[in-house]
Amino acid sequence: MSSTIPHNLLPSAPASPPTPAPSPTPMSRAPDWSTAHEDEDANVRDVRALFADMNDAEKQRLLAELLNLCNSQQLAFVQEFVSPRLKKDPFTTFPDELCLRILTFIDDPQTLARSSQVSKRWRELVSDDMAWKSLCEKHAYRSLNDDSEGGRRNGGSTTPPLPSSNPSIHTPSASPYNNPLTLPAFRFGSNAGASTSAPDLRTQSLDRQARNPRTNSLARRRPKALSYRSHFKQRYMVETAWRHGGKVDHRQITPDQGVVTSLHLTDKYIVVALDNAKIHVFDTEGCHQKTLQGHVMGVWAMVPWDDVLVSGGCDRDVRVWNMATGASIHTLRGHTSTVRCLKMSDSTTAISGSRDTTLRIWDIQKGICRHVLVGHQASVRCLEIHGDLIVSGSYDTTARIWSISEGKCLRTLNGHFSQIYAIAFDGKKIATGSLDTSVRLWDPNDGRCLAVLQGHTSLVGQLQMRADKLVTGGSDGSVRVWSLTEYQPIHRLAAHDNSVTSLQFDDTRIVSGGSDGRVKIWDLKNGTLVRELSQPADAVWRVVFEEEKAVVMASRGQKTVMEVWSFSPPPEDELHDPDASSTDLLSNRSSSPISMPDNTVDYPGRIDSRVGGAVSNLLSMSEYTTPVRPVSEYAAPMPRPRLEALARPVSEHIPRSTNDDGDVNMADVYEGSGKAVGFDVERSQKGRDGVR
Amino acid sequence: MASASAPAVPQITLTSSDGIDISVDRSVAQRSVLIKNLLEDLPTESTNEPIPIPNVNEAVLKKVMEWCEHHKNDPTTTNDDDSDSRKKSTDIEEWDQRYMSVDQEMLFEIILAANYLDIKALLDVGCKTVANMIKGKSPEEIRKTFNIQNDFTPEEEDQIRRENEWAEDR
Repeated sequence: MSSTIPHNLLPSAPASPPTPAPSPTPMSRAPDWSTAHEDEDANVRDVRALFADMNDAEKQRLLAELLNLCNSQQLAFVQEFVSPRLKKDPFTTFPDELCLRILTFIDDPQTLARSSQVSKRWRELVSDDMAWKSLCEKHAYRSLNDDSEGGRRNGGSTTPPLPSSNPSIHTPSASPYNNPLTLPAFRFGSNAGASTSAPDLRTQSLDRQARNPRTNSLARRRPKALSYRSHFKQRYMVETAWRHGGKVDHRQITPDQGVVTSLHLTDKYIVVALDNAKIHVFDTEGCHQKTLQGHVMGVWAMVPWDDVLVSGGCDRDVRVWNMATGASIHTLRGHTSTVRCLKMSDSTTAISGSRDTTLRIWDIQKGICRHVLVGHQASVRCLEIHGDLIVSGSYDTTARIWSISEGKCLRTLNGHFSQIYAIAFDGKKIATGSLDTSVRLWDPNDGRCLAVLQGHTSLVGQLQMRADKLVTGGSDGSVRVWSLTEYQPIHRLAAHDNSVTSLQFDDTRIVSGGSDGRVKIWDLKNGTLVRELSQPADAVWRVVFEEEKAVVMASRGQKTVMEVWSFSPPPEDELHDPDASSTDLLSNRSSSPISMPDNTVDYPGRIDSRVGGAVSNLLSMSEYTTPVRPVSEYAAPMPRPRLEALARPVSEHIPRSTNDDGDVNMADVYEGSGKAVGFDVERSQKGRDGVR
Repeated sequence: MASASAPAVPQITLTSSDGIDISVDRSVAQRSVLIKNLLEDLPTESTNEPIPIPNVNEAVLKKVMEWCEHHKNDPTTTNDDDSDSRKKSTDIEEWDQRYMSVDQEMLFEIILAANYLDIKALLDVGCKTVANMIKGKSPEEIRKTFNIQNDFTPEEEDQIRRENEWAEDR
């Protein structure tokens, strides 16, 4: 190599490097020569002075020559000496906004968390909420405070709870550069757009509670997150618990063996209706509060609204209860057969659908029937409400749209060839599921059938619409996810060996329960099985969930049991968590984040809850993340989802269509028997009526 | 090639911080929003004069122009490009990966220059490159990668480790 370097290069003609020099500022990494010994040879000292006076090209040449004189040992020394000097801390090199820009490209919390352990400078930067905010968006975690949920569900826009990170950060910086680029001003909650556009409508077991403009239970249970970091942390821990943690509390809810016909989870109560005429009210932790007794036969439909519960069933009465006191407020008479579905449109208005082919609109405050909606030719099986509109699905194969205020039918939706079992309505579209195995989508404005979704091989008894997705469940055991924009299937999940008895989904997951006794959690986005909740039971009647909780009603060993799963993170540990710590070893934590210099807003709610949190600090992280289950509850190894339900003989799919209530759904099998009794009772009730 | 196409492609001259004149196609240089705005503001007759780029030295400026040359036909990014493509992926196309295979000092200089010259796409590639150098590493590995001194006391280190335990559990 030495031969390639000319020995008499003129300074006026420097050898230009073939490609850009690896380092634009070589001065900064020259070895420190100032520490030379006093008794050093004068020549060596001269070499140093000479070198310092050289231009870059000359220096390179001299260095190359010196290196050529080195043996491999010395070269190894050079390498070891030089290599760390070629490394540079980007976060001490760049101004804050560039550092934060780099951090916004990190999409996993591990890396971000580990980055904060590198050095004080790194910690300071990671403590800035910018990166966590970006991470929240990438993970599509919803709002910072759960309060806004209510507002969004009502279609109102919510203001971001935190001031958006200030894009112009001014800290004294070593950089000589101006920074014409500002950091992207992310719109917080952009991912929540989906839920903005469509309120949370749940068809089957879910109530309309979600739309109540009240703060939900999460907000009350826990302080609002102070930062995107703590918000992310909370959400992340909840997600982790959903994947492989969570605490379960399970109890037998009734000494007698009842079939669960309906289950609701509100922010105050868990309400369970049984075919043995009883309604049990629990708090959200699963502690029994009240038993509502009054129905004389199986309860088949109910709807909660704050402390009020409206219920109906085989005895044809619609009853209004106060769940807080357990008092029966009204018994509303009018239906002449089993009340099969119930919904509320506001705190005073309940709508019931019955096997007597009518719907009734009730004023539950006055206890009177406002309208009888006549038109269906057979049993009204399902109904949904949006605004002033009721949509009902009937065994006469049609769905109807009714006006609540006018009490009349606006439209009849014809198309299905067989009984309608499930209906969903988000104000923009109506979805119906039928025994003819198809799902139809309708335009509520003109009654047009927008699409026929084929795929299920048996009765479609479960439906939920949310944003631009529809999820359906059938007696064929499969769960299907459809696009409401393309009208195309997105996922086909071979969920259960038998009927899907319960189905619910939110932005992240689908939870399905089946008559095969299993509860499965699916990833909505990629359609994979996340986990199986609990040990398989004999049968799962109903499953409902909210963000951090799931309630499973199942039959185990001939007993009706309730399992309440909690996926909430433990209370913030003040010793361990910087967000809650006032005695931080590292003072920079308490100072304002770099990108939010003015974020000194006082959150009054926080103090109270911290007091509460301190009491329960005993819960350690490990206790939380390890599933705490009763001995009998250890989950079986998670089976891989099958690609598709194996085709079964066609004959198996033919329901007992001779029966008016030819449901294949498990609960309906029991309704069948209940109905048989019902006929008897109807007869005997005629007698009763006669006596009356 | 330059002589053949010289009349067709308007050239401009940039002067680096160390006083070197660099001649580039005007369209290439205009990948820089700073230069583009500057040229638009200048009266047409003065666009032949060298444009001083006082914050970027020759080596870095040439390297940056190399990127602009390669990406001169890319669709120009709108101001709203923060939305999806940018956030979603830390993927870097192959040419850019090779382009970014330089020592850290050069990499950081490119990022600073891209920031100064307002070449957003290049800035993002640079930031992604640094982010990828951080990803998946332990704190100690990150320190080694960038030759960073651990300035925490053992107590502090322990505290921070515990603070971040939650992120390790998955």
